[in-house]
Amino acid sequence: MRALLGTVLGLPLALMLCGLLAAILPVDWRQWLVLYLLLSVVLWSALITLAALPASHWRTAVWLVAANGVAWIVLQTTGLYGAAA
Amino acid sequence: MKADTLRKHIDLHGWLGMLAGLALFVAFFAGALNMFHEELHHWQEPYVAESDGGEGDLQALLDQVLAVTPEAAKLMYLVPGDDPVALWQDADQEWQFDHASDFNAAGERVKKPRSELAEFINELHYKLALPVVGLYLMGIISVLYGAALIGGLVIHWPKLKKEFFALRHQGNLRRYWKNLHNLVGVISFPFHAIFAITGAAMGCFALLALVAGTLVFGPQLQGAITDATEAWPTPQASGESVAMAGVEAYVAAARAELPDLRVDWIELQQYGDRNAVVDVAGSVPGWIAHHAHVVLAGDDARTLTVTSPGNRPFNHAALSPVYSLHFGDYGGLLVRSLYFVLGLLGCLLFFSGNVMWAERRTDRQGPSRSAIIMLRVTLGVTFGVMAGLAVSCLANKVVSHSPWAGAVAWSEKGAFLAVLLLTLLLALRAAPLAMCRWGLRGCIALYLLVPLVQGGLEGFASWREPHIHLVNTALWAVAASLAAVEWLRVRRLRRAGPHPLWVPAPPAPASEAELASS
Repeated sequence: MRALLGTVLGLPLALMLCGLLAAILPVDWRQWLVLYLLLSVVLWSALITLAALPASHWRTAVWLVAANGVAWIVLQTTGLYGAAA
Repeated sequence: MKADTLRKHIDLHGWLGMLAGLALFVAFFAGALNMFHEELHHWQEPYVAESDGGEGDLQALLDQVLAVTPEAAKLMYLVPGDDPVALWQDADQEWQFDHASDFNAAGERVKKPRSELAEFINELHYKLALPVVGLYLMGIISVLYGAALIGGLVIHWPKLKKEFFALRHQGNLRRYWKNLHNLVGVISFPFHAIFAITGAAMGCFALLALVAGTLVFGPQLQGAITDATEAWPTPQASGESVAMAGVEAYVAAARAELPDLRVDWIELQQYGDRNAVVDVAGSVPGWIAHHAHVVLAGDDARTLTVTSPGNRPFNHAALSPVYSLHFGDYGGLLVRSLYFVLGLLGCLLFFSGNVMWAERRTDRQGPSRSAIIMLRVTLGVTFGVMAGLAVSCLANKVVSHSPWAGAVAWSEKGAFLAVLLLTLLLALRAAPLAMCRWGLRGCIALYLLVPLVQGGLEGFASWREPHIHLVNTALWAVAASLAAVEWLRVRRLRRAGPHPLWVPAPPAPASEAELASS
C-alpha cells in the first residue's frame, strides 16, 4: 500500500522537486531537459523507497500529499510554468 | 541503521521485487535473446545458401515503394542490409514495411508471409507483447525495479564485502537461494541500475512529459522536448516537386562529414518536395554514446546539420547513452555477449527473489496459500516463457518448411502462448519440486534441440553462416546456463532437504484412531 502511494504520489513530487532544482540553477532547463527527466526517474524510485519508512499508510499519504502541496506552491513562486520560450 | 528500518527496507525490497519480478524475468529473458536481434532476423528466415551477404540496393527499394505507395514519401525509414527494409506510414499513420524481396522484377509488390520471431521477442522484451498498455506497464515496472534496487543497496551496502564471498552450500535451501540472490545482485548491480533508469525513462517518457507539462513547465514543454530529442525539426511540404539527390549522394555526403560513420538507417521526410529533409543516422565506433546524425537537404544533399560524439547539444549527448547503455550496442560482440550473460543472470535474480519471498512468508506466517501460489506461478511463468520461446523457435523452422509456411507468424506466437498457459496450469497442479526438476530438464532439452532441428531442416552447412552460428550458439548457451542451474539444484538437494514450502504437506490424520495408530 505504501509502495503504491509512493508510486502514485511520488511521480508528481519527483518532477516538481527537479523542477525546483531547474528554477534554482542558473542554466536554462531546456538545455538539460533529458537529464532532468532521468533525474526525475531516479528521484521517483527513491521516493517509493522512502514512502515505505513511515509507521502507517496514513502517515505516508499525509507526508506525500503535504510535500506535493508545498512543492506546487513553491513552484508557483518561480517563473518556470508557462514562462516565455 | 536501526533494525526496524532495515526490516522495512527488506520488506519493501521483497514486495517490490515480487510485484515486478515476473514481468522483469520475461523482459530479461527475451532481452538476453534480443541482444542478437539482427542475427535473429536472419535466423528466422529459411536459409538460402547462395546469398552473397552483400548490401541490397536502397535506391531501387525507395523507388519501388514510392511507385506503388506515393504517400510513403511523407515519412520513411530505409534500413540497409542484404534484403533492405523500408518502413513508412500509411494514410492512417500506421507503420508498414517492405523488404526489397517483396517486389518482383516488374516492380510490383508481391508480399510473402514472413516470420515475426525476432520482432515478437523484441515485443516481449519491451512490452510483454501486450498491445497499448504494455510499454507503460513496463515503464512502471522499471520504476518499481529501481526502487527495489535502491532498497537492495541500502540493505546490502554495510555487508557488501562479506556477501560477495558468501555462496556456501551449508545450511538450509533458503540460505542457499539467498546467498545466490545476493551474489548475483551485487555483481550485476551497475547493469541493473542502468536498466532500471533507462527502461523507466523509455517506458514512462509519455507519462513523465504529461505530468511535467501539467505541473512544472506548462505548454512550452512540448516544443522543448522536440528540440531536445530530434536532430532536425519536422519539415512541412511546400507543394513544389523537385528532383532528389538520391540515396547514394546522401550516404556519400554523410561519409564526407563523418568518415567513420556506419549507416544504420536513413530517414526521409517529404521526399520529392522542395523542403525534403534526409537524416542519415548511424554510429561512430569507439564511443559509448555512439549515435550520429547527418541531416541533409533532400534536393542537393547539402549538409544542414551534423550531430556526432563530441559535437552535439547537451540534451543529445545525454540521450544517446540512454539508448546505447540499454541496448548494449556500443562495444561489438563482446559487450553484447556480456549483456546476454548478465541478462540471464538477471533472470536467476528475479526467480530466486520470488522463491525467497515465498519461503520467507512461510517461515514467518507458517504455510500460507499466497506463498504456495506465488511459488507455483513463479515456476509456471519462468518455465513457461523459456519453454514457450524455444517452442516458438521450433515452430518457426518446422512451419517455414511445411506447406503451411503462410501461417509461420501465427504459429510462432500461438506456440508460445499455448506452451506458457500449459506450463502455468501444470505448475499450479504439480508438486513444486517435481515441476522445478522437469521444467529445467525440459527447457534444457528444448534449447539443445532448436539448433539441431534448424540444421536438420536447412542443412548443417547453414551453421557456418555467421548469424545462424551466433543465434544457435546463444540458444545452446541458454541450455548450458539452465544445465548449470540444474546441477546446482541437484547438488544442493543432495546435501540438505528442501524448504517445507517445496514439499506438499502430508494429509492431516482424519481421526483420533489414525493419530493413535501413527
